[in-house]
Amino acid sequence: MSTTVTVLYFGAAGEIAGKPSEVMEADDTDTLCNRILEKYPAMETVPFRLALNRVLIKEGSPLKENDIIAILPPFKGG
Amino acid sequence: MKNRYLVGGPITPLLISEMMTLGNDDVGAGAVSIFIGKVRDDEINGKRVKAIEYSAYNDMAEKEANEIIKTVMMAFSDVRKIFFVHSTGTVRAGEVSLFIMVTAGHRDHATRACRHIIEMLKERLPVWKKELF
Repeated sequence: MSTTVTVLYFGAAGEIAGKPSEVMEADDTDTLCNRILEKYPAMETVPFRLALNRVLIKEGSPLKENDIIAILPPFKGG
Repeated sequence: MKNRYLVGGPITPLLISEMMTLGNDDVGAGAVSIFIGKVRDDEINGKRVKAIEYSAYNDMAEKEANEIIKTVMMAFSDVRKIFFVHSTGTVRAGEVSLFIMVTAGHRDHATRACRHIIEMLKERLPVWKKELF
């Protein structure tokens, strides 16, 4: 059984997804990213990093039940 | 979750004047460096920017902002206090979207730390913008 996580979309990723968040299933971030790209092909045009429970992470991180994964396009503050 | 580093809408002159009184009780701070960032009416593809809509990952912004302050305080020993606030929501051209204030014993660390914070905020604060025309 896959792990259930909450995905948060920010910036351009939120516009492509058309929603601020959704619940998805994946056991690791690579699987999750593949699922997101399958669901939203236009996400390929947005370079993004991932945060796991508010901390930036590298690819291939395992996921636990109820983790919060944020899709973070390049920051544009200031 | 309320975030002390983010404010909805533009940073108003009233808020700026209030923040400028912070740290007034510290009579050892001989230098105060302030940076104010405003929305520019850039022309993009023939269209003039009327406003910018900012969005943020609130929880992460709070954590990153705390870490930026900790890092800068460690790097600049003469710095005494750091305050900054960034807008979320809509800010019109000419209005203020970023306010940074650094107090220090002397001008050197005050100005250098302020500049350092600007760059760190741009790199690390999870804030996004969308131009409105």
